[in-house]
Order: sequence, then C-alpha cells, then structure tokens
Amino acid sequence: MRAAFSIRPVAMAITLALALGPLPTAYAAGNDEAALRAEVAELRAQLIELKHEVQQMHAAPAAAAAAAATATTASTAPASAATLPANADAASLPGAAPMQSSILNTAASATTLYGYGEMNYTRPTKDKSATQADLARAVFGFIHAFDENTRIVSEFEWEHAVASASDQGEAEVEQLYIEHQLQPNYGLRAGLMLIPLGLLNEHHEPTNYYGVYRNFVETAIIPSTWREGGVSIYGNTEFGLNWSAGVTTGPDLSKWDPTSPEGRESPLGSIHQELQLAKARDPSVFAAANWQGIPGLTVGGGIFTGKIGQGQPGFLANHARLLLGEGHVRWQTGPFDLSALYTRGTISDTENLNLTFIGNPTPAPKAFWGGYVQGAWRAWEHDGAAIAPFVRYEEYNTAASYEAIPLGLGVDPLVTSKLWTAGVNYWLNPNVVFKADYQQFRSESDRNRFDLGIGFQF
Amino acid sequence: MYLKVAVHASMSRVIRCVFTGWVLASCSVALVHADTAAVAVQLATPSMLGKAIFFDESLSASGKTSCATCHDPAHAHAHAQSNTLAVQSGGEFHDVPGFRAVPSLRYLNLGIAFHFENDGTPIGGFNRDGRANSLLEQAERPLLAPHEMANGTHADAVARLANASYADDFRRVFGNSVFDDIDRAFFRMQFALEKYEVTDPGFHPFDSKYDYFLAGKVKLSAQELRGFSLFNRPDKGKCLGCHPSTRGSDGSSPVFTDYTYDNLGLPRNTAIAANVDPAYYDLGLCGPFRTDLAEHTDLCGAFKVPTLRNVATRQVFFHNGSFKTLTDAIRFYVRRDTNPEQFYPLDANGIAQKFNDLPAEFHKNVNTSEVPYDRHPGEAPRLSEDEIADLVVFLQTLTDGYDALSNTADPARSLTK
Repeated sequence: MRAAFSIRPVAMAITLALALGPLPTAYAAGNDEAALRAEVAELRAQLIELKHEVQQMHAAPAAAAAAAATATTASTAPASAATLPANADAASLPGAAPMQSSILNTAASATTLYGYGEMNYTRPTKDKSATQADLARAVFGFIHAFDENTRIVSEFEWEHAVASASDQGEAEVEQLYIEHQLQPNYGLRAGLMLIPLGLLNEHHEPTNYYGVYRNFVETAIIPSTWREGGVSIYGNTEFGLNWSAGVTTGPDLSKWDPTSPEGRESPLGSIHQELQLAKARDPSVFAAANWQGIPGLTVGGGIFTGKIGQGQPGFLANHARLLLGEGHVRWQTGPFDLSALYTRGTISDTENLNLTFIGNPTPAPKAFWGGYVQGAWRAWEHDGAAIAPFVRYEEYNTAASYEAIPLGLGVDPLVTSKLWTAGVNYWLNPNVVFKADYQQFRSESDRNRFDLGIGFQF
Repeated sequence: MYLKVAVHASMSRVIRCVFTGWVLASCSVALVHADTAAVAVQLATPSMLGKAIFFDESLSASGKTSCATCHDPAHAHAHAQSNTLAVQSGGEFHDVPGFRAVPSLRYLNLGIAFHFENDGTPIGGFNRDGRANSLLEQAERPLLAPHEMANGTHADAVARLANASYADDFRRVFGNSVFDDIDRAFFRMQFALEKYEVTDPGFHPFDSKYDYFLAGKVKLSAQELRGFSLFNRPDKGKCLGCHPSTRGSDGSSPVFTDYTYDNLGLPRNTAIAANVDPAYYDLGLCGPFRTDLAEHTDLCGAFKVPTLRNVATRQVFFHNGSFKTLTDAIRFYVRRDTNPEQFYPLDANGIAQKFNDLPAEFHKNVNTSEVPYDRHPGEAPRLSEDEIADLVVFLQTLTDGYDALSNTADPARSLTK
C-alpha cells in the first residue's frame, strides 16, 4: 500500500528532473528559444497538476495514506513482532517515530497519546539476597500533528517507580522534537531525538525485543535509550533505503569519573548529557541508513562522531574525539527472526587525562565494542497471541584498550564479557508481552540470573 | 543641532569630571590619614583590616602573640619550624599549654558549614571538631582562649584593638562609633579576619606542582607518579577515599578533603599536658570543647579530615601531634593493625594498648574497615616501606609555591607582597 502511494509522485519527479535536464544545453545552443519557452510553460503546468494530485492523495481519509504521508507506518509496527514478514520494514526504520496505535486524522490537528510500561523480576542464581523486582519504566508520550506535514513527538519516562531527591528513580524527557515533512520522501527534525543507531534504540518498547532486559551490547556500548539535541534530515527512497543524518549535541568527557564503576558499565552512558544543561561547544554528527529492499530483510548501519571535550578550560582532553559505528542485519522469514549486530567505539586523545587518573579503577577507555547474534522462532500464534522462544549470544567489552600509561601504572583492559540468553516471549496480543529468560555468563558466573518481565504498549 | 548635542555632551562630561575630582579628593584625604598609620598598606577595606589584625601581636594578653605567631604565612599558615612541639602554648606568659596541634589555615575558604547528610554522615565545619560554622565564627576562640591569645573577654580584645595603630581605619570602615558597642566591634573584627582569609590569594594559591600537573603544564617524576598511583589505588593507599585528588565535575581543583570526619584510633600523646589526667580524653565531635553532639557517642573520637595540601611542610601530624614526620604518620595508617606495638604502649603482658586515646567503650568507633587500615594482625600491610617512600614523595607535590626551574616548592612564594 505504501509503496503504491509513494512511487507515482517520485516517478513523476524523476521524469521531470530528466525532462528539465537538457534545458541548460539547449539554452547554450541558443536555438529555438521560443520553442523552449513553450516547453518550460508546459512542464510548469504539469508540475502544478502533479502537486495537486499529491495534495489530494494526502487529503484522502484512508489510514494507510496518512501513515505513508508521515513516513512512519508506525500504526502497524506493534503488530510487526506478531506478523513478521508483512511489515518487517517498520520495525527498523531509522528515524521512525515511536509506536502509535491510533490513527492520525489528517483533517484537523490531531493529538495522539501513547505509552508503554515494563516491570521485571530478577533473581541472580549465585546471590539470592540480590533478588529484585522493579517497575523499570512507565512511559507516556504524545504526538501532536499541526497539519499533515508538521507534528511534535514527545516521550516522557519514569524509571524505578519513585523519583525524588532521596529515591533512586528518575523522571526524564526522552524525546521532544518537531518533525516537518518537506517532501513525501524526506523531512526534517529538530529537538531532542533518538540517535538512529542499532536495532533497539529507536524501537525500545518491551514488545519489540526478545528477553526481559534490553541486550547488553545496546545498553553498555550503544547507550540506549540514547538521545541528543539537534537537527536532522531523514528520508526514504523508493528502492527501500531509509536514511537519516544530523548534527546534535554529544557526550561530555569532562564528566568522566575515574573513581566510579559507571564508566566500566557503560562508557557513553556515564558521560551522556541528555540535553540537560548540556555543554555544546563541540557538535557531533551522525548518519545512518537501513535498506529494506527485500521483504523481511533489513541491513543497516550508522556512525556517530564528534569531539567530546567540550572545550572546557584546563581540561586535558579537549581534543578527544568519539567515533562510534555500528552495523546490523535482521532477517525475518517465516516463523524465524534472526538478527546480528556489531558496534565499536573509540575515544582518542585520552592519554594526558588518564595520567591524572593514575591508580583509579576507571580511566577513560580508548576502545569499546560489542556484538550479538540472536535467533527467535515463532512457535505458535493464534489471533494476535504468539509464543516465541529465542536465544542470543553476546560479547561486549566496555574497555578493550587504553592509551599507554608509563611505568606500568595503567590498568589492564577489561576481559570481554560473554553471555548466552535464552528465554521466551509470550504475546497475549501484539501489545502485551510476558517474558522469561535465563542469562548465563561464560566467565562471570556471579552475574548469572533468571528474569521475568511484563511489558505492554499502546 | 549637532553643535547643541556636542555642547550638551561636553557639559555633562565637565560635570562628571568635577564630581570625579571631588570623590578623588575625598579619597586622597583618607589616603593621607592612612599614611600616618604604622602599617604601610592602605587600610581601606575589611580585608586589609583583617590582615592588620592577623599580624598584630598587641591584640593578645602577652602582647607578643598574633594569629601569625602560630599560623605563619610563610609556613603554609601553620606552625613554623622553630619548634616541634605537639601543641603550642599561649596565654599571658606563654605557659598555658594547648590541646590540639596547630592546623594550616590554607584552603579553608572552600569549607562549608557543619551539618549532617541524609545518611547521618557529619560533614563540614571549622576547627578540628567542626564546632564553628564559618571562618567568622572560628575567629573568636583563638582571640579569647586562655591557652592562645588570652584576651579573655570581648571587652579586653576590643580595648586592645581600639589602641591599635590602625584603629582609625577600623572606624573609617565600620563607623566612627564602632568601638562604643563592644560586641559589635568584636563581631566586625571577626568579619575582617574572615574577609582576609577568604580574599587574600596567599591563603589559596593552588600553585603546587600537582596543580601544574593537573593543568598539563608539568610532568611528575617516576617516583611521584608511583606515589600518586598508590594514593589513588583502592587496594593500596585509597587516600582519595577521604582526600579526593580529582577535579570536581565543574572543573574545580581538588582540595584533598571531603570535609568528613574520621576516627583513626591515634595513640595518646603524653606530651599534651591535659593528657596527664588519665580521665581526660579529647573526643573531637562529641567533646570536650564541642558539647552539642555529646549524645552522639558513635562520633566520639572522630576529627575533621584536613586538606593534604602542604602536608609535607608540617612538623607535627594529626590533632594530637602524635607523629613528627610524614613518613611516620603514613606508617601509622599502614601498620596500625599489623604492628600495633610500634605505636602504642605495651601493657603488663606485653600487649599493645590499641586506641589508648579513647575510653574503652569508644574503641568500636575506630575506623577499621577502610583501606589501608583494614588489616588484621598477621596480614601484610598494604604498603611496603618503598611504597610509603613513594607516597611521601608524591605528597610533597602538594606543597604550594612550586617553581619549575628549580623543581622546589615553598609556601612562602605564594604570599602576596
């Protein structure tokens, strides 16, 4: 459906471009000026007619048309986990808006409310006293469309149930941006937005991933949910490429705390700014793309880079540059959902900074990386309900190397964490999921745990 | 039109010039008065008055003791090398012994008022037991205490101030009738001292070798780097647990104290006269000089964590001056529990009387869980002798007044002339 609406105007645009192409040479030749003028007038008329057609198509009340015009097909995304091959592309669109189950009415300004929640229970197998149950996230957001081309997207979150100065929860704004569709195939965003790297960052709702917790690679290395403030341009092409690029704020290396274990849990997670009075001396840029030309297959990747010293006076790593790249592939075929992802980040120029951290357990790393392969099998489904066991193998290292420190006074690079996760997702319906899994670490057995989870979205 | 505006502008300029001239004339009158003072500097601000008061020996019962007598600016505002007594004596005839070792007054401008954190941790305050909440409050005791400047009462102190050579400047800054109200005058004396300590850069120069190292301007030697590593390592010195060595998240330089309190179980120092009475114990937060926390018996024996800046210039260490060298002080941290017989007197059975400067019921308050004093008898100390030497060399990089050419540091260099 979506393709049918988008091909015609694009095809017409391409035809026009080709038609207008020879014009300069014709002018240069200097012959038949009058004929040329007539041709231009005719092309102009055709263009106006074409624009009219496109506007009429946008005004059509069909739900799928509205979704196509705003380039999201998000309304079908919650079902994507349950009805795999048909809308496999929706789940992996870079720059796609969060899930919305209700349909945008383009006739007048429309506000859509959406949200999700997840609760989990964790029982470490080697330390029962650390068993924990937590309301991990309660999220709501709204999308408000001013007209068929412009809307605000927002997402607000409470973590760990209670947020106050003496509680451990957090309340945060995860997304808040304006999106403006310039053409059916590209548009602009400005504000606090998700960085389109990885498979999880933009589609982080509990119904959209396997396992009670988000995988380690996409929390420790790609710090989901990763958002920055800035502007971006996004678009799609008729041969199935969805792309986006932007200029945003970046992390702040002057926040690095060598005494704390946070930097070892997630290097970027410990220095991200989340647009909270963010130091913005050094902008970062990102670019990402996903190709979904073959139904069921998504191949994509992206990079994010920028200087992260933020030019602070007296800071010894003002030239440090972060470069994070990732590549992923997802293949949904029949009842199988297979995916693989690899990501690697580097921070340059941390030598002088780490010299002032000597002896502390957490110097700033030079390189960190992670990768996983995952397979899920939709063993049973009926009327929107489904059961899918899955298995995932991950490896990640949050400090694979450091810049050299003299006299052997540096710390050793971390040992790569390797773990298996096996479990099952049970969807009561496409928007409600119950999960159970067991995570086993190859050489850190005190981290082994059994998890249960509930997730839902609307 | 143009001319009118120009004339108007120049007229207002003339008026401004006349006004400025009148102000300058008034100031110069004040300056002429100041010239007649014995002190050579201009005493037009509270901070400058505070400096005069700080050095004025006539403000004491003996007539020979000023703040600077014990807090020698050239010696990091702590006691100079003339003696290595654990505590100094004061009073009219310099024969009243003190109770606690003289602390350095440097870097106190960054201190905070005493309070309890949400988890019950006491934090902040001035004096070794934190009983003053500001430098202003802290200035009172040394002026009055019988074992210090021994003025005794506000009235005596103010009377001596009114006879000082800069008394006219004091009136000029605080009002002609300031000496008519004793307490008001005394308060302003405290205020002036606080202003001096806070604004004079000689009290907080941040010009040690370590500061230049943090700024990337100088390299530490191999031994200094090893000592620095031991200072930070959580399994070795872990000194930064109470004496943070990293910049604040706002880029501020480290002060090497987290303003908390610790109970080290130091050996009793018999050189302190008050300790002759076996019933006398200096319990820090819970007394005897501080009385508001007497019920907090878990805090008995805890004293303020001081800055380590300029620690290598000290002659005596800890609140009771029980150690005379930095190496010995660090050896105590490292070997207190592995070799207590090196520090405490032995009883009749040859067993070391650990924590003998605390009553028996408060021995459990002593910190025995934090690195490096978390050892048990028979366990190896966390630092070897070589490592202690490396640590001492690193601590020397915290001395103010570093000169890169000679690779030496002297706190006297930091003083404003």
